[in-house]
Amino acid sequence: MLRTLLHFFLIGGLLFAAKAVYEGRRVEGPEITVRVPGDATGAEVERAIREAILLSEARRYGWDKGDPIVFTHLVRNMHFIEPDATDDDLTLYERALEMNMDAHDPVVRARLLYRAREALGYVPEDRMPTRDALEAHRQAHGERFEREGRVRFQHVFLSRSKRGDSLPADATAMREQLSTLGDERPRGLGDPLPGLRPEQSGTPSQIKDDYGAALAQIVEEAVAGVWRGPVSSVYGLHFVRVTGKEPGYVPSLDIIGAEVRADRLREIRDELGKERMDALRGAYTVHVERVP
Amino acid sequence: MRRSLFLVLGLLSLSVVAVGCGDDGSPSPVVPDEFGRCADFNDLRQPFWGDTHIHTNLSLDANLQGTRTSPAEAYAFAQGEPIGIQPYYEGGNPTRMAQIDRPLDFVMLSDHAEFLGTIRTCIDPESPGFDQIDCKEYRSALQFDALPGDVQEIFIGLNGLTVLAPENARYPALCGPNDAYCLTAGMEVWGEIVDAAEAVYDRSESCRFTSFPGYEWSGGPASKNLHRNVMFKNGNVPALPYSYFDEPYAEGLWARLQEECIDAGVGCDTFTIPHNTNLSEGIYFENKMANGEPFSTAYVETRSAMEPVIEIYQHKGASECLPGAATSDELCGFEAIPFANLATTNRELITPPDPRGFLRVAYGEGMKFEESLGTNPFQYGITAGTDTHISSPGFIAENDFKGHGGAGQPNRFLPPPQGFPDIEYLSPGGMTAVWAEENAREAIFSAIRRKETFGTSGPRIVVRMFGGWEYPSDLCNAADLAAQGYAGGVAMGGVLDPQPGSSAPTFVVSARQDAASVPLQRIQIAKGWLEGDAYQVLVYDVAGDKDNGASVDLDTCAPQGNGFGDLCNVWQDPDFDPAERAYYYARVIENPTCRWTTWQCSTAQYDCNDWDYDACEALKAKPEPESNYTCDCCDPAAGLNEAACEGVDCSDPGALPEVEQRCCYQVEPAIQERAWTSPIWYQPPS
Repeated sequence: MLRTLLHFFLIGGLLFAAKAVYEGRRVEGPEITVRVPGDATGAEVERAIREAILLSEARRYGWDKGDPIVFTHLVRNMHFIEPDATDDDLTLYERALEMNMDAHDPVVRARLLYRAREALGYVPEDRMPTRDALEAHRQAHGERFEREGRVRFQHVFLSRSKRGDSLPADATAMREQLSTLGDERPRGLGDPLPGLRPEQSGTPSQIKDDYGAALAQIVEEAVAGVWRGPVSSVYGLHFVRVTGKEPGYVPSLDIIGAEVRADRLREIRDELGKERMDALRGAYTVHVERVP
Repeated sequence: MRRSLFLVLGLLSLSVVAVGCGDDGSPSPVVPDEFGRCADFNDLRQPFWGDTHIHTNLSLDANLQGTRTSPAEAYAFAQGEPIGIQPYYEGGNPTRMAQIDRPLDFVMLSDHAEFLGTIRTCIDPESPGFDQIDCKEYRSALQFDALPGDVQEIFIGLNGLTVLAPENARYPALCGPNDAYCLTAGMEVWGEIVDAAEAVYDRSESCRFTSFPGYEWSGGPASKNLHRNVMFKNGNVPALPYSYFDEPYAEGLWARLQEECIDAGVGCDTFTIPHNTNLSEGIYFENKMANGEPFSTAYVETRSAMEPVIEIYQHKGASECLPGAATSDELCGFEAIPFANLATTNRELITPPDPRGFLRVAYGEGMKFEESLGTNPFQYGITAGTDTHISSPGFIAENDFKGHGGAGQPNRFLPPPQGFPDIEYLSPGGMTAVWAEENAREAIFSAIRRKETFGTSGPRIVVRMFGGWEYPSDLCNAADLAAQGYAGGVAMGGVLDPQPGSSAPTFVVSARQDAASVPLQRIQIAKGWLEGDAYQVLVYDVAGDKDNGASVDLDTCAPQGNGFGDLCNVWQDPDFDPAERAYYYARVIENPTCRWTTWQCSTAQYDCNDWDYDACEALKAKPEPESNYTCDCCDPAAGLNEAACEGVDCSDPGALPEVEQRCCYQVEPAIQERAWTSPIWYQPPS
């Protein structure tokens, strides 16, 4: 598909828009009239203008004539309004164009707008980002690539299912026991739970997904070196002691190059689309007619 | 079937490698994916959640059902981003949105390989096949105003090639001489799929998301499902995603993967994952090779090596066991759909499934092959997936089900569904969990290969199982349960060798509920064994309480009663015979909750006094099918209209009027979600 879009650029599709951008001068474009509802807001008028320009461009370069989906659709329309017609598809299609059917048909309109927007966002080889550009992008938009900070903590768990009514008393005893540990690790204390480790590292999001919001909040807010708890979850009661916090960070380009490239390409497509649209907007002479 | 090999060889150099960035921004292999790089590496392993069965707009069926979302959008969805889904308004905006509440850890997209190239050929005006009549028809089916009947006809015209007998399997004629147009385009699309996977794989030490390149091989002779997903460990992949049209027998597929991936010396590794054996009319595990002969020793060795795991449950039902077939297991009815194959599912034609297509039978037959040929070809570990066709990995919420498409209800056309968004017998599907050291490709791929996996019907129930000979009876109280589990035996998916002098194997199973779901009810262990030529199954309750009184209010879907946040037990087989082959897997059962159909009816406006079965059928049969909640919720199949089924005798459903037949094939309005572990096998002395 990209080859096709490139083809359109090379043979002239949206060419004057590109020329306007790269030559930095105004290029005169066609003159169109856009009809909008009388009560349309400024934003609605501008949207209608831009769509009309894209449709005009699509038609200027014959996409309404050559697009297979437009062709099939108009032929089908003709079969509907002329059920007894025996003409071949091409004849029917040409008659549909003569009837100006393509100008108002919503499907044709949607198809042409789709193709025009795809063309607007096409990225030519000379706009592909270099490594330096990617590094600049990574630094400029660190928030997009940032990895969540992690918390290292010790974790002791008392199972509600296992301990039943003795859970509160067991928790009281455990709290006392933990307070005597000092810096010692809580080896062998508490109950096992699949996936729970006595010492682990996790992001607040992961802790929330695994054990619920209450424990995640306690871990995130806890001061290092102090046992906190008991904190209740659907499983029972938890005691945690944070041993370290690692802030969020942005990995190097060597590590996340593919991710940065994909993000930058999305952005370039948007930039090109806007540049080309603005150039078209500037080149066209537009008359707006408000209709009741 | 070595067609167009020159094309493959010509493009092998395009095989994708791990992506960094060269000076010009182009991909280059600069980042080693080292085992142990993740910040939360744990050598005692931890659970990671994923989905390995997802279709995007690259799959023909999804594409014609109105799915517009790409692989990149599917990956974004898996990481918690919302996506728009069909039907779309004329201007291109979606009518519905979808989002999951928690991100997944890993994903493999599995678009159907058969038509990757066909679709591209038909939408690329520069393709030499673009003007073929079939392409024109395909494009007409994509149009906004295409008629549902026409779309279905065009879909069947193309997809029908996947249900031809293997000897007749072929690419569509539009693919040109030697299928060159579609092979070339298919390789291009496959390259893009691999690129998309590379772009989202987190190579930082945060290891927040892992992607695997993959696809689905979609052979189904006479609609008997033989589909299997092909999973690759990394971006080093063969140039062509071998499909049913390239290799119409699984043996051919495995041979290609062995030769061009595993043995190619380029860092490529792969395996295949069977699914929906329930829809195979029993042929998935048939003792027949491509040449029609019974399994050979070489065949069972290859199959065992190439297919470590199986998908036990997904959108199109569970494949664990069939009620009444070779088991008295009362929980076998879970999402057992009443269809025999793909076509009857698609057409909602009630047909009894063949019990030989279910895993319990395969496990039994597998032990027999091991006895006779020395290798068990069906020694499968367990996974589960969604099989979503709307690019929504992990979208398993029963209370937010929007339909998955594929063989289900398409939802392509406006207005958005006015009743159930899918065939009532289908469901949101499940998820796979692995016990791995870290969330990175090597660790997760290895976990699946060694079968340290479990599947769930959706909730993130975590379960761990070890089998050994000398575990202490109080192991459930040990904070270092996992360390003792590994030290004294094997984890789920492993094989227990004989232990002279020991009385019987001991299993420790521990599970915890999904923090965002309801409590657990019990843990069971299903034991299967080979007694002479016959295989048997017994299911034991080993923890929790079957009679805990928990239930769900079907009007409001509010859960009632208590359960267990976590359960654990050490269990010893009371009937062990050291001379008999056996397997043991755990099944963890949640308290009852509403099924998706019941959830929708709990919030919908409907009145069964206005319900008229014939009128509802007429609505469904319209050129543009319609429904509404009165039709769907009052249909006896939904299990909520008790009055309609009063006095119906289901001893011979075939003799009943159609509406009463549906009373005999009801879904369960309340379900018990569950997790299934990979088995642990016991092999007696040879």
